Amino acid sequence: MIYIGAEVIVSPLGDNAEDNWQALVENRSGIALVPSAGFNQEDIHLAKIAGLNGPLRFQQLVIKVLSALEARIDASILTSDRTIVLISSTKGALDDNLHDQFSETCIAVMQQFGLAHLPMVISNACISGVLTLNVAGKMIEADQYEHVIVIGCDVASDFVLYGFQSLFAVSDKPCAPFDAARKGITLGEGCGAALVSAAKSAFKNAPLQLLTGTSANDANHISGPSRTGEGLVRSILKTLRYNDVLGDEIDFISAHGTGTIFNDEMESIAFSSLNLSHIPLNSLKGYYGHTLGAAGVIETAVCMQMMRNSMLIKSAGYRDAGTSQPLNIILENEPKKLRTILKTASGFGGGNASLMIRDL
Amino acid sequence: MKMITAYCNLRADECLVNGEVVARRDAGSEDSWFKQIYRQLDLGYPKFYKMDVLSQAGYLAMELIKKANPDITAAYADDEIALVFANASSSAETDRRFMQSYETGGSPSPSLFVYTLPNIVLGEIAIANKWYGENMFAVLPKFAPGFYLNYSEILLASDSCALLGGWLEVTAGSTDVFLFMVEERENGTEFNNGNLLHLSQTGLVAAY
Repeated sequence: MIYIGAEVIVSPLGDNAEDNWQALVENRSGIALVPSAGFNQEDIHLAKIAGLNGPLRFQQLVIKVLSALEARIDASILTSDRTIVLISSTKGALDDNLHDQFSETCIAVMQQFGLAHLPMVISNACISGVLTLNVAGKMIEADQYEHVIVIGCDVASDFVLYGFQSLFAVSDKPCAPFDAARKGITLGEGCGAALVSAAKSAFKNAPLQLLTGTSANDANHISGPSRTGEGLVRSILKTLRYNDVLGDEIDFISAHGTGTIFNDEMESIAFSSLNLSHIPLNSLKGYYGHTLGAAGVIETAVCMQMMRNSMLIKSAGYRDAGTSQPLNIILENEPKKLRTILKTASGFGGGNASLMIRDL
Repeated sequence: MKMITAYCNLRADECLVNGEVVARRDAGSEDSWFKQIYRQLDLGYPKFYKMDVLSQAGYLAMELIKKANPDITAAYADDEIALVFANASSSAETDRRFMQSYETGGSPSPSLFVYTLPNIVLGEIAIANKWYGENMFAVLPKFAPGFYLNYSEILLASDSCALLGGWLEVTAGSTDVFLFMVEERENGTEFNNGNLLHLSQTGLVAAY
């Protein structure tokens, strides 16, 4: 069995999983209007971490999240030769060193925590986080490592904001995933982490079970989703089959839900064609914005909190149905025992990935 | 047995397939080096001109491997070839160009921005071949055979039946591209640490 636990989140909503959970229970969003943040000095909605300024922001966040995770696990794991750290990120420390966006952070983290191996970086656009969690689980299944620490991190930058502005993909209000009036994404920054392990004893608090999934490319377009959701459908089908789980066993879907017209529409088509439309679903982007390479890890960590607290969290920003296929979007927080959840992600480069978490 | 059944090395002045030089850079040409190879191959894929250097390199090396080993496409279902690529500098070269687009008085360029992610090359190869399989892009300090060996063990134990591995380092100062096909076959070069390292350096040795 592959265990997952010791989840940590550093975000605009707090420095640990509990503070983040409290904010979500209160339906507080980390998104705020930032004056003059845009390319032409436009005011832009962003989910930024207060006090995270200056150089080495990426490194600061990664170190902070790993310190928090360290307190939740058997500390000897960090330095073990049977442990590797995987970092999921799109742009890393771009603002510090354009030409080498990851090395400095990897070396600093290795030295500070006495890691046996240099952390490995996985960079697959917006599916990075889910993909990296799957890689972690499969490394353990193959007995390549006994413990894998997964960290997902991306920081806000002019670079990424200007880029999405140039694509006319940034919403002029807080993003509203799956809503009829959605107008695009809101960018966020944050860092999530979790330990994936073969050993239950590695965790100070009870872990959950990771049912690793697969990725599938849309083979359609580098910067737009497939109209049919082909890759997402293939990824979910394989993830279900690989784990011998039926669609009806899924209690909740944590969708990608970026808030763009095309992404959310594509997801509705994919979930509909898989007969999963009736399953309670949310997007967490209304709370965290789109944190790119961190999103899959942060959102999986939130799913784990939802399972631990037996509570569905409402999909922030959603009011009116806005996709061609109906979805069961969570309108209000609701107590519910969650045994099996599905987490999905889709992104630039045509990537799609999915995984499941099961209660023990 | 897992075998490397075809491979391509793309360097600053030479392009090699299975160790044989198939194209040499014409320093006098006005075309970029990758454009020269594209023209020589007569590929008829106009999307090539829109791609950044990383995607151009990956696309060309893939086409050259298919040319050397035409069975690849027919031998596998559309989701059975996994793409596992890595490099050291992510998409830095295109990142730099995108930054220039807005730091020098202009507006941020959307056509550059969409290539400011290293995994876009995987999408381009998937699109060109209609491949729906597993994709992964890692950023590593240097070419590391163990990375491909370990991840192939994981992929080939699951739904993937073959692997296209890639090391794609294309910056202003250097071109170091190595793509290789790994399949379950009787013939070929055994897929192991030493062979991978050796083949990745093909063409460098010839310079001595």
